[in-house]
Amino acid sequence: MSSAYSAPVLELERVGFTYSPDKKIVDNLTFSAGNGEFIGLLGANGSGKSTILKLASGILKPSEGSITLWGKPLQSYRNKDRAKLLSYFPQLLDINVPFRVRDLVSMGLYPYDIPPRITADEAMEAVGLKEKAESYITNLSGGERRRAFIAMTLLQGAGLLLLDEPLANLDIKYQIELLRLLKELKDNKNISIIMALHDINIALRFEKVMLIKGGRILGIGKPVTVLSKEMLEEAFDVSIEIRRSETGGTYIGNEKNF
Amino acid sequence: MSKIRITVLIIIALLIILCSLFLGPRVINPFGLSEVEKEIVFSIRLPRVVVAVLMGMALGAAGAVLQGVLRNPLADPYILGISSGASLTAALGLLSGFYSFGRFTLPLTAFIGASLVSLLVGAFGWKRGGLWPERLLLAGVGLSFLFHAILMLLMSVSTNEGLRRALLWIFGDLSMADWSLIPYGLVFIAAGLFIALLRAKALNALILGDEFTHSLGFSANRERLLLFVSMALMTAASVSLGGTIGFIGLLMPHIMRFVAGADSRALIPASALGGGAFLCLADLIGKSIFTPMEVPSGIVTAIIGSPYFLYLLRRRDVLSI
Repeated sequence: MSSAYSAPVLELERVGFTYSPDKKIVDNLTFSAGNGEFIGLLGANGSGKSTILKLASGILKPSEGSITLWGKPLQSYRNKDRAKLLSYFPQLLDINVPFRVRDLVSMGLYPYDIPPRITADEAMEAVGLKEKAESYITNLSGGERRRAFIAMTLLQGAGLLLLDEPLANLDIKYQIELLRLLKELKDNKNISIIMALHDINIALRFEKVMLIKGGRILGIGKPVTVLSKEMLEEAFDVSIEIRRSETGGTYIGNEKNF
Repeated sequence: MSKIRITVLIIIALLIILCSLFLGPRVINPFGLSEVEKEIVFSIRLPRVVVAVLMGMALGAAGAVLQGVLRNPLADPYILGISSGASLTAALGLLSGFYSFGRFTLPLTAFIGASLVSLLVGAFGWKRGGLWPERLLLAGVGLSFLFHAILMLLMSVSTNEGLRRALLWIFGDLSMADWSLIPYGLVFIAAGLFIALLRAKALNALILGDEFTHSLGFSANRERLLLFVSMALMTAASVSLGGTIGFIGLLMPHIMRFVAGADSRALIPASALGGGAFLCLADLIGKSIFTPMEVPSGIVTAIIGSPYFLYLLRRRDVLSI
């Protein structure tokens, strides 16, 4: 999307979500994501990360508050129009049908009548799966499958990506490659990304992180301020140690070994 | 590659249809038809071929749709209780002396039963504004058991000759096929197939799960409902045309995933084509092999289809669904 948009890409205003009145999964959540922002979403299991991403993608409807996408209420978009602007990537990839990789990746074009900028081949190349284009998705390893779905998401070409744990099940090599790819998209195409992740040490490299506990924002901003010992201990309910190496790197871990 | 395979499939289907017209208990030379032979071909064999093709198409396509909607490889159009519901209403209609529609009575009562059961299963499977696959499946299995039990009860206490006939018919009998029913069956099957083909992309998305379905720009609830209606129309029409034929709805989609691939845009038409050709062939074999006796087509489909399917399963390195 061009910088002609002055409104934030995504804006959540006092959003709450609950299945039953006595327990709020997400509570009074207000934040926005601007053009080309890359935000890491951190929090313990059950803290509400996935729910926040599902609310922001419109899969779940908020019990209270409002969500706007490029200045318009999220629910006012037609499904197909929303799908051109926003892409959601779920945590669980549960597929047992033998689609060919190429066919699966091409599903990213479903919202379009006229194919967008990149082709299925380019998307497969970007995730290193071009030589597996004709393979069955059910014959790929867990990491390869995940990359095939990521290629589909890339082909969909939305300006906002909401990714729930896309690094799970990936070797360190592909974790780094995927992060590079996403950063390229952000830098070159001004794509905004909100990504839930578990690895605090990877989150340290992000420009912006959001720390969640009990469906509320504990902190949002640069990792150096948000991912402090006190905040992390509060969020994860475990003692945390922050080490700095001689070369200036930072490493976060637990002071006890198991 | 799959284009070549589909072309081959179409040619095989046409050959089977031609064979069914001219082969059988009496072999007919297509280039020198006598008056009697004309009568056999156009009044007996052609309507029977058309019914077999329509039923097979409906079952194959309905199976491909339902396996995707339920995300379950064991789903077959009958698993939702649609056929047992149809049998039950047909039997009840006959028992209560309901013959008002003449030869249409059986198909009509069966169609009403199939439609009512579809609605009932849909109602049980409905929660929070949408159909839930697991609920649909369990409701269907539960209702199916109930209808079977009532049907068995009726059979064991009734001496009605019409009921016996109805049961034979409902377990798959094409020998009564004539032109009168075909237009009605055709309309429902064509409508179901049309919806299924129109929503084939959404079906692909549903196979990936509701979250991807949403992300790709579809409403999972709406698409599931449409596809369920399409499946119910095809199944109900097929049951009322010639009763219950096993195997095709369950296994034809699996066979066609080997041939045409898993993409529903190819799989639905391929399953329809394969199902139609296969039932036609099964019927030809069933009526020729022990002449003058006829083996019900449902038995033939299972006896020749299952070993072929097991062979494919062993041979191909494809986890089909």
